[in-house]
Amino acid sequence: MNSSKQSRARRVFGWFDDRLPISSLWRSQLTRYPAPKNFNLWYFFGSLAMLVLVLQLATGLFLAIHYQPNPHLAYWSVLRGIQRDSRWGWLIRDMHIVGASAFFLLVYLHMYRGIMYGSYKKPRELLWLVGIFIYLALAAEAFLGYLLPWGQMSYWGSAVVTNFVTAVPVIGKPIATWLRGSFVVGLPTLNRFFVFHVFLMPVLLLALVLVHMIALHHVGSNNPDGVEIHENVNESGWPRDGIPFHPYYTVKDLFGVSVFFVVFFWFVFYNPGGWGLLLDKLNYTPANILHTPADIHPLWFFLPFYAMLRGVPDKLYGIMAFGGSFALLACLPLLDRNPVRSIRYRSVLYKIDILMMAFSFLWLGLIAHGFATEHNMVYGLHVTEVFYSTFLLLPFFNRERSTRAKVIWLVAAEAVVWLIDLWMYSIHAHGWDLMLLTDWIPTLYLLLLFGLAIGFPALTRDAQKLPERLTAGGIFH
Amino acid sequence: MTKQNAPRGNHPVLLALLVGLLAGFGGLARASVATTKPPLRPITVNLQDKSALQNGALYTLHMCVACHSLQGVRYSSLPKMLGMNRVEFEKVIGTNGKHYHDTITSTMPPAIINAFVKILPPDLTDIARRRSPAWLYTYLTSFYVDPSRPSGVNNTVRYNVAMPDVFAPMQGLQKPVMVQGLRFGSPAQVAIGVKPLTQGSMTQAQFDRTARDIVYFLYAVAHPHQQERARLGPWIIGLFLVLSVLTFLIYKLYWRRVITGEERWWRVGK
Ligand code: HEC
Ligand code: HEM
Repeated sequence: MNSSKQSRARRVFGWFDDRLPISSLWRSQLTRYPAPKNFNLWYFFGSLAMLVLVLQLATGLFLAIHYQPNPHLAYWSVLRGIQRDSRWGWLIRDMHIVGASAFFLLVYLHMYRGIMYGSYKKPRELLWLVGIFIYLALAAEAFLGYLLPWGQMSYWGSAVVTNFVTAVPVIGKPIATWLRGSFVVGLPTLNRFFVFHVFLMPVLLLALVLVHMIALHHVGSNNPDGVEIHENVNESGWPRDGIPFHPYYTVKDLFGVSVFFVVFFWFVFYNPGGWGLLLDKLNYTPANILHTPADIHPLWFFLPFYAMLRGVPDKLYGIMAFGGSFALLACLPLLDRNPVRSIRYRSVLYKIDILMMAFSFLWLGLIAHGFATEHNMVYGLHVTEVFYSTFLLLPFFNRERSTRAKVIWLVAAEAVVWLIDLWMYSIHAHGWDLMLLTDWIPTLYLLLLFGLAIGFPALTRDAQKLPERLTAGGIFH
Repeated sequence: MTKQNAPRGNHPVLLALLVGLLAGFGGLARASVATTKPPLRPITVNLQDKSALQNGALYTLHMCVACHSLQGVRYSSLPKMLGMNRVEFEKVIGTNGKHYHDTITSTMPPAIINAFVKILPPDLTDIARRRSPAWLYTYLTSFYVDPSRPSGVNNTVRYNVAMPDVFAPMQGLQKPVMVQGLRFGSPAQVAIGVKPLTQGSMTQAQFDRTARDIVYFLYAVAHPHQQERARLGPWIIGLFLVLSVLTFLIYKLYWRRVITGEERWWRVGK
């Protein structure tokens, strides 16, 4: 071994390390950062989301070099300039398109993990709230980027959304005009969407993700058992169920990354349009300001929200239904105050409620995937009611309830649903026939949930004893 | 807590129920504005059949480009795709008087097209990305006589199309096979096929071959990187498959110490 060389390298490193907290950060954040030893599959998605963020920034850089933010040039600058005239342009663009959808898929799974394991509860409320802001920034980023290729769906999607903004009282119209830079979507809109998409939102996202990580490392990770590892420490003060993040979770995440890339590149190489889900087929037509498409759709990841927006035909109430769903997500720490974190140790009916949350969200997506028939809109309204109830019923599960309380909850919840329907009827949103035909959806859900709660009180009982130590780990546990 | 009575995070039965229900409700949401659809004529695109591609290019660049553009491509990108060199290409197919490196725009001035057909014909590189080969093949072979239309023809897969039947001299005229069906949910007479009415300059088989060649060409033009995809894809995906196996083994190796409780890093003082 050449020891003088080695010591020189160490001296150089030492020079830097004295001036930058390299090794201390490395230790405190990685090799001596204790993480619970039982992370499962659901804990891959955070690091994968970070990977995709980097991927989007890298591919986006190359796209921006060739892209022309001008309505006369934009479409062909993407479909010919990037896809054909520039070397590897097709690969870069398809990676960016598939990456956008992957980002949403990962973030949805990531959020659902947080819901399942109660990761939004004390002391992680701010971590969760920062996450909600990340989601909002991500949604804005995707919406802005979608206009850039200036295809039919780009154009009309942006027109519909900015038009919805005008329905907000007082500030709606000025905001919409400012967003578009004009009274209709046009050149100024494209210019500012481009700048927001490639500069403003990425910077915001990076900053938010940094805060997310700082908050995470301050409070430490939750885990599938929902048991706080810092409450059980050894003589030297280390959590007994913690293991150093590096190397254990770095090698595990590397496995996650490899599997992710297999799926990711399958789409990139063999199915970049993703059956018309990742890139709408109508976007292979340049924007035509004189021709409104029969069926205007957002991409798949916005479909559930689109169903909420459409379910209530009054624009303002539609926006409220849509915005309210984010408020509900943000308010999760306030709604669910049960001390048990993980779904593993919660009651059967709570589990059903959390499953129903995912189910109604997917169902809303399917509804918005269909045409905007009155039939589908009414379904949208009623499934939105179910989605909302899965959140608003969370306080019910905060402790065990008496039969009388259960009956009161049931009556109150049904009354709210029927009052909303009456109200929709009174503003002539939908006819009674269709309303009655689909009212069974929320009515039945509430009846079933509370019926079971009343008939079988054991179904509302959480586990009586939480484990003291974490149960065995493993990817599929 | 022992392993048997530890509640699990995954609930296979509930999950299966969820997937089943979703599939059912998905059908509910889609079955809305029904229209009777004619069956599509099957076709398998063969990008290796260079003589078919050349024939398709010949017809497309001389017949269709009168009205349609193919702005996604430049003439200069075609020879390689067609298996020709530049000289052959310029002699056999040509660039319609444009520069070799120009994009393919329609040869008729837009004003004239507008006066003729009223609707600006869509770009064919876009159309061929949007439509499946089977749809295109059916479209090209299914014009039928319909006196109620300004152009005198209609199309089974593209009801009330504004494009005239440019194939009439080759294919002859055709008459529709009508059935009682639905159009946007209301009952109507719907054409689900065509039958020959007059004889053109080609036999049915010759014409079908020509239409097939055009579809090959349009598909090739709209999907320019098929060969790179097919060449690169297996390597990249294979690489990550191998990496998945390797990283899994490394993960197992490292984690043995965690499973057996041998991990003793935490003995160090804080
Ligand atoms: C006389 C001008 C003209 C010529 C020549 C012509 N087309 Fe068209 N084509 C049109 C017009 C106009 C439309 C738009 C029809 C509409 O929107 O109703 C059209 C539409 C189409 C469509 C799209 C249908 C759809 O809705 O997706 C295809 C495919 C097509 N043409 C293929 C061809 C091919 C292949 C050729 C050459 C064999 C050709 N056309 C020659 C005028 C023409
Ligand atoms: C750009 C998007 C995001 C990135 C890159 C990201 C990154 C991460 C990473 C790397 C972790 C630690 C690893 C893990 O637990 O999986 C994490 C944890 C967490 N994230 Fe995110 N995140 C993003 C979006 C969100 C969103 C939208 C939410 C919720 C609304 C959220 C809520 C949380 C919570 C609650 C935790 C702690 C989970 C636990 O300890 O159980 N994150 N995030």
